[in-house]
Amino acid sequence: MSETVVRINNLVKRYGDLVALDHFSLEIREGEIFGLLGPNGSGKTTTINCLLSLLSFDKGEIEIFGKKMSPVCYDIKREIGVIMQNVAVFDELTVWENIDYFCGLYIRDKAQRKQYVEEAVRFVGLEDFLKFRPKKLSGGLLRRLNIACGIAHKPKLIILDEPTVAVDPQSRNRILEGIQSLNRNGATVIYTSHYMEEVEQICTRIAIMDKGKKIAEGTKDELKRMIRNTETVTVEMLELPEDVRTELAALPHVYDTAFDGKTLTVSCSGGKHNLIRILGVLQNHELSFGRVYSELPTLNDVFLEITGTALRDKEE
Amino acid sequence: MQVFKTFLKVLRKHLGISALYIVLFMAVGAAMTLMDDSRQMFEQTRLDICVFDEDGTPESKALCALIGQKHNLVTLEKNDDVILDALYYERVNYVLTIKRGYGEKLAAGDTEGLLESRHFHESYSTVYTEQFLNEYVGTVRAFIAGGDSPADAVAHAEAAFAKEVSVNTANFEPTRSSDSQNKTALYFRYLPYLIFSVLMNVLCPVLLVMNKKEIRSRTDCSGIRPGRFTAEVFAGTALFVIGIWLLFVAVSVPVNGCMYQGRMWLAVLNSFVFTLFSAAFALLVSSFSPAPNIINIITQIVSLGMCFLCGVFVDQSMLGDGVLSAARFLPAYWYIRVNRMLEGAEVYDGQFAAKVIAIEAAFVVVLALLTVMLRKSHVRTPKPQRKPA
Repeated sequence: MSETVVRINNLVKRYGDLVALDHFSLEIREGEIFGLLGPNGSGKTTTINCLLSLLSFDKGEIEIFGKKMSPVCYDIKREIGVIMQNVAVFDELTVWENIDYFCGLYIRDKAQRKQYVEEAVRFVGLEDFLKFRPKKLSGGLLRRLNIACGIAHKPKLIILDEPTVAVDPQSRNRILEGIQSLNRNGATVIYTSHYMEEVEQICTRIAIMDKGKKIAEGTKDELKRMIRNTETVTVEMLELPEDVRTELAALPHVYDTAFDGKTLTVSCSGGKHNLIRILGVLQNHELSFGRVYSELPTLNDVFLEITGTALRDKEE
Repeated sequence: MQVFKTFLKVLRKHLGISALYIVLFMAVGAAMTLMDDSRQMFEQTRLDICVFDEDGTPESKALCALIGQKHNLVTLEKNDDVILDALYYERVNYVLTIKRGYGEKLAAGDTEGLLESRHFHESYSTVYTEQFLNEYVGTVRAFIAGGDSPADAVAHAEAAFAKEVSVNTANFEPTRSSDSQNKTALYFRYLPYLIFSVLMNVLCPVLLVMNKKEIRSRTDCSGIRPGRFTAEVFAGTALFVIGIWLLFVAVSVPVNGCMYQGRMWLAVLNSFVFTLFSAAFALLVSSFSPAPNIINIITQIVSLGMCFLCGVFVDQSMLGDGVLSAARFLPAYWYIRVNRMLEGAEVYDGQFAAKVIAIEAAFVVVLALLTVMLRKSHVRTPKPQRKPA
């Protein structure tokens, strides 16, 4: 059993009458990439800020590396790397100077710092931009610089708060690969995002948050097993007689059908060969149809089933 | 010293643009000081005079020659229209006609009807020229009356008028300072505007960068203690503030052509306290994290307003009692009071000067306390980046 790196117990944070964190508890083990997933305003950033002692909280306890966290726990802070949602770099300094400054807040030895900065630069692929000022960098490169500033001192615990917001797909992939690489090198990672695909792609364990509460926690498979849906079959078609729809609904493992005039959606719970059985019914009635998809449940389905609202609807 | 070094790097970037401010302000300050030499200068005026000699005697020619020495002789056609045009367009200040019989009448001691003139009524040049002519004629007459021949009288009068009078400007203000001291005091008079503007325009943006929310959050997450961060930023600020002050103080030496002596060290101390006030004000303003254009507006309003009200640009003796009463609540007023003592515009009183500098220092202390209180209240009440829906 690996060691617990972060333990949050019954955390409560209020802003006046508003409860930002409502008895929130969490345990993150060494070597994990732990995802905090939730819509904007669900309390992810508040959790991170409390974790880093940037915010005080009303109730609860936070332990990092087995020690109670407080604003003056500098020995704990030295082992943490933070990559905030907003890019935090000096516009006046070059790429190298920025990484060197933030690394220098942790590493005093010049030679070691130089080596660490070089490694961070290589890690994020900014070798060709060392003398560039942040304003000359593209959005993706700027995010990479932001990450390099947070990880240059080789922290044991890395906290990334929505690091891929407003980043192009190429840079996003590079960032996600980088996070996995950091994890392979031994760092424990806490990753917050409202992009479920990202969380699904890289996180070993996930907590889903909504309205300051943890509504589910586990590996992605564990989370998906929590819900009824195991497969969603989507068929593009222009007409669906009511008797056919009733026949589809009566198929084994089918628990829901929906038709919006263009698309038929059939939700299945367990079972095999659901797709073949559904298409068989449509062929028997000689109904023509276009493209057909069969999708496994996503974290959005988990969120939808638990909260009654889709994660994406919340974003909008 | 990571924070300190970075402060200096950021400062260097902002200083690049702001160097223009510093050079410009210094040039303006130096120019104002050098241009204000009027009180020390006297120059005899030469007027443009046209002379028509109808007499043609040695006496009349001697008068023409003397006018030529003292003024500029202008030749005009003896035509009314030409003369009036020349007077109207100020090509000539005075038109003199030496009447026929001038020599004879002068020898006889008669001074009536010797000369005729065309001029602007009661103008400064008319009064000045007529005073000169009357004095000359009176001198020649006096020598003749004393027994000189007309030729000797003219020669003696010419000799008397040839003497240059050494003119020294006198002022009746108490204990007027020496020239170099006066220049230095004058340079220091404009210093509040220069120092305040430079510190606000350079220091505020740098402090804003160092205290930018995102950067402070990342720094607070690191192993560095907040006290150490503040101390290093303060050290950078102090280095810059003292550097700028020393630069302005040092520039005054070549501008005024003299080293500081005696009481002028008081001007140096006075300017140092005012520099501290300006730095404290910049620290206070930066605590509110204003936008750069807001800093610019605050700088313009405070610097210009304070300097006009307190007698930096206009001497305090020319300001109304109401204005001066209001100005007492501003440090520049007290700064100028000390400077006026050094200029000689007020009686020097060492004890009073010390009291005034202490009042300026009190402004610094109040601003520093306000800044500390404000920053502490910011630390106690952190706001969330985004409130939950």
